[in-house]
Amino acid sequence: MTGKQKKFIAVTAGLSLIFGIAPVADAMHIMEGYLPVRYCIAWGVLCIPFLIAGFLAIKKSVSEHRKTIIVLAMCGAYAFVLSALKLPSVTGSSSHPTGTGLGAILYGPSIMSILGIIVLLFQAVLLAHGGLTTLGANTFSMAIAGPFISYGIYKLTLKLKVPKLGAVFLAAMLGDLSTYCVTSFQLALAYPSEIGGIGASMVKFMGIFAITQVPIAIIEGIITALVVMALETYAKPELTEIGFIRGGLNHER
Amino acid sequence: MIMLDKMAYSSGLRYISPCVKAFTAVTTLLLCVTAHSAVISLITLAVMGGLTVYKGGACPLYYIRLYRIPLLFLVLSTFTIVVSISKEPLSEVALPLFRYYLTFKGDAFYFAGNLILTALGAVSCLYFLSLTTPVTDLLYVLDILHCPGILVELLLLVYRFIFVLYDMAAAITVSQKSRLGNKDFKTSLHAMSGMLVMLLIRALKKSNLLYDAMESRCYNGKILVLRESARASRKEIVMAAAFEAVMLGICLLLRRIS
Repeated sequence: MTGKQKKFIAVTAGLSLIFGIAPVADAMHIMEGYLPVRYCIAWGVLCIPFLIAGFLAIKKSVSEHRKTIIVLAMCGAYAFVLSALKLPSVTGSSSHPTGTGLGAILYGPSIMSILGIIVLLFQAVLLAHGGLTTLGANTFSMAIAGPFISYGIYKLTLKLKVPKLGAVFLAAMLGDLSTYCVTSFQLALAYPSEIGGIGASMVKFMGIFAITQVPIAIIEGIITALVVMALETYAKPELTEIGFIRGGLNHER
Repeated sequence: MIMLDKMAYSSGLRYISPCVKAFTAVTTLLLCVTAHSAVISLITLAVMGGLTVYKGGACPLYYIRLYRIPLLFLVLSTFTIVVSISKEPLSEVALPLFRYYLTFKGDAFYFAGNLILTALGAVSCLYFLSLTTPVTDLLYVLDILHCPGILVELLLLVYRFIFVLYDMAAAITVSQKSRLGNKDFKTSLHAMSGMLVMLLIRALKKSNLLYDAMESRCYNGKILVLRESARASRKEIVMAAAFEAVMLGICLLLRRIS
């Protein structure tokens, strides 16, 4: 066998391995019981300030307008259903979007933290994605880091005069990728490599999860951009509806 | 998704007090994760699995299939933890990769096995809770634990709306499929984004109608309903406490041995 043939066989074997396991999706929620207790507690504590800020924001807007709670609940349910749907994919494997980008752009990041923890709780109980002990870590990566980064990128790219379609695409895609980086970091911190410590371990995790996460991030970016564009065209009045939840899409206009 | 919820409502353990079930599941979960030992995890797996399948009446085949959901995560991350990339092989087993080696230490398999068992034990606790306790009962437990009122209300409303929106999404998807909306990658991207847009618009319209309906029925921020959850009998409390005490005892014993 020549070297070229060997390489070809190795690549095809790798690809078949990837597509062989990919159909059972949900790779990015840290599963129940996978993190040691002290990391569960630490990530939970880290989430608390963000959650309190989100809670106070919600409480204020609910006391101003009681209707907010219904709209918020609908938005939460929407985020959950979004994450339970299967993304279209080229390979026929099924994978779920995180919805953090769309949520952050529509509702603003601080509201998204509370909606996010609610969605994650229901995902654990109703879908068996994620878990109760890892709720803190998952909340940090999916409901705090992802939305805040998405929102930051969205604002930044709009300031840099990037067309809206591109801004939304970048925000959703990079938000998704940052969720995956944070999760890799969380796993690396809990399970550092014997050689090279946390850094090497993080490289390993990111390398492995890139298989499933990079395509998802790109597809989610495309879909989010299409959704926001269509919403702007067809649903101006409905968007003003969410406008009174602070920091949302309409606010910067 | 709706399957897990349905099973919770039709479970044989449905009318046991939700406080007892939540206490058992969460305490066992914490013990299992803290102990991080194969023995405890196997006991947890057996007891929780047994309770869910025999007492709860969950279909054994479906129950086993549920463990496939976290499988991809488990396989990928355990593989990542066990294998390390180094310039020299650490043990006899090493796979050359360009100039480096994929290699693992001697006790890596023991570590991986332990980790997998702990994770599976923990998942069995979660499944016990979600297959025997409907969400409304869990919210009752949160209420007892003095979770803020707005949060519980929000959880209840989200739970109600999930099914409405899910049905809507499923109906739209079916009609798109029947018109060849998913015939290739490009159309399926378009179909999905169109469906998400319609879903959001309809969700917001629905919440307007719902608010008007609830406002006209004097909704003031809290839906008050009579709870029908059972009170805990003394036997159940004693059994749950005894089980946790035994588990704690085994944990301490194992720690002393090692």
